[in-house]
Amino acid sequence: MTTPSTPLLELSTLWIQVTGTWCNLTCTHCLNSSGPHNPWLKSLDTEMVTRYIKEGADLGIKEIYYTGGEPFLHKDMLLLIAHALEVVPTTVLTNGILITDQVADHLAALAQNSPYSLQIRISIDDVDPDKNDRIRGKGAFAKAVRALELLHNRGLLPILTATEILRDELPEGRGMYEQFRDLLLGLGITKPRVKIMPVLPTGRMEREGGPLLTPEMLQGFDFSLLQCSETRVVAEGGVYACPILAGLPGARLSAKSLKEALKPCDLYHTACVVCYETGMTCKN
Amino acid sequence: MSREGKEYRRIAVFGGIYNNYLALEATLEETRRRGVEALFCLGDMGAFGPNPDRVFPLLEHGKVLAIQGNYDQSLATGLDNCQCGYTDPRDNHFARLSYEYTFKKTSPENKTWLGQLPTHRRVRLGQYRLLMCHGSPRRMNEFLWESTSPNCLLEKFCRDFESDVLLFTHTGIKWHRALDGDRHVVNVGTIGRPENDGQVNVWYTILTAADGLQVEFIPVHYDCETLTQEMEHEDLPVEFIETIQTGWWTTCLEILPSKERARGKF
Ligand SMILES: [Fe+2]
Repeated sequence: MTTPSTPLLELSTLWIQVTGTWCNLTCTHCLNSSGPHNPWLKSLDTEMVTRYIKEGADLGIKEIYYTGGEPFLHKDMLLLIAHALEVVPTTVLTNGILITDQVADHLAALAQNSPYSLQIRISIDDVDPDKNDRIRGKGAFAKAVRALELLHNRGLLPILTATEILRDELPEGRGMYEQFRDLLLGLGITKPRVKIMPVLPTGRMEREGGPLLTPEMLQGFDFSLLQCSETRVVAEGGVYACPILAGLPGARLSAKSLKEALKPCDLYHTACVVCYETGMTCKN
Repeated sequence: MSREGKEYRRIAVFGGIYNNYLALEATLEETRRRGVEALFCLGDMGAFGPNPDRVFPLLEHGKVLAIQGNYDQSLATGLDNCQCGYTDPRDNHFARLSYEYTFKKTSPENKTWLGQLPTHRRVRLGQYRLLMCHGSPRRMNEFLWESTSPNCLLEKFCRDFESDVLLFTHTGIKWHRALDGDRHVVNVGTIGRPENDGQVNVWYTILTAADGLQVEFIPVHYDCETLTQEMEHEDLPVEFIETIQTGWWTTCLEILPSKERARGKF
């Protein structure tokens, strides 16, 4: 069977998987199997990240997202955020564990000094601490909540990001989105921001023999609905087509530059079906 | 004649009427005292205000040169949503309410009129090549907020679309930035909804080619009380009415980036 592909319509979003799959948690549903020991994708060095930020700006990108792993494990993370914010609006996806008072102060100063928005996304998977920690690890809920409060207190308006992993276990009645909103309001976060993502069949949720996209399914399809039509990801090994498949050989488009990765990408993975069906985006 | 067509020295540009025909009337009145040569509207005639059909005769009578916004395109093509480009469920909930109302209340003739509007317009203002669009030159419903529109992207737009000044709306909050080489980008704001600063007035923009480019944002005060009464009469959501009365956005604000969101009340 022929594998369909997505044209690159524009390069707008640049993801940087700055700590590879190195993380201080081992969430059971992690889409790239991140964890503390022997990460299968290594961190990027500061010089390389800086070079890709420059290349992205030269190509006229709109925004940068830092992800991992856990980005704040990178020794130069605050510096890298500062570099990105010099040229484009920037988002960081984090579990919040390393966001101390001091880090929050520093982030607030960076946000203040840039003309562009800095958005911090904090992951939580359930409004109940025990259920959340069963998925994300002991103490993860309390630390994420602390990060949300520290950022809110400094006017940084964090975005709570949840997956649908525990959707079926949420108390009956109000929807998932409303329950997370209530959680934030209960914490005194008066501008509650919530983003919900589907669970992706990759990493620790990878299954053999899932469905694949066919060329027929993409006849007449509006490719702008797929984020790989406007996104590229820098991770160890080069430039990849999408943040979910970063690091996988099938998603790699170049070993060395964004410019070389400005070409169509194969929709070869069963995770591509999720994007196709839900129209979801990893963006804010 | 150049691709830019007619040449002007001084023009008024506004966006996002959102059915607020009283604000449109006040804006047209305001521009009369300003010596502008032409009026341009960057689209989204409909949205959360009352009685959409009252907007169209004013546009015609005022000789407003309009382009299509996402709302206009949706109405004209019979789509079941406004294509505002929201991603959050709360934003989408309120967007649906206003779109369904506007769809039902806009006459077939006016929908047809919206369908024949161009999506872009080029004019010359003094030595400047202006490009007008609704969201961004590349996508009708792209949000160009001040804090999420980096210079590298805006410079690329000016290069790719061969223009010196880009004019757009769609977000609801005005801003202007000068780029290197005397190029400019201007979000002209909207006249249909106050801009989330606790003031009930709305804004439009006057551009003048004099010694360089002058960009002036002009506040417009209109009869909010009558608008409110009509919104109540039309059973529009109280959240919409509250925005008109207070100047604070109460709906469709999850889309705001952190800097813009931080400035509002909600
Ligand atoms: Fe719009």
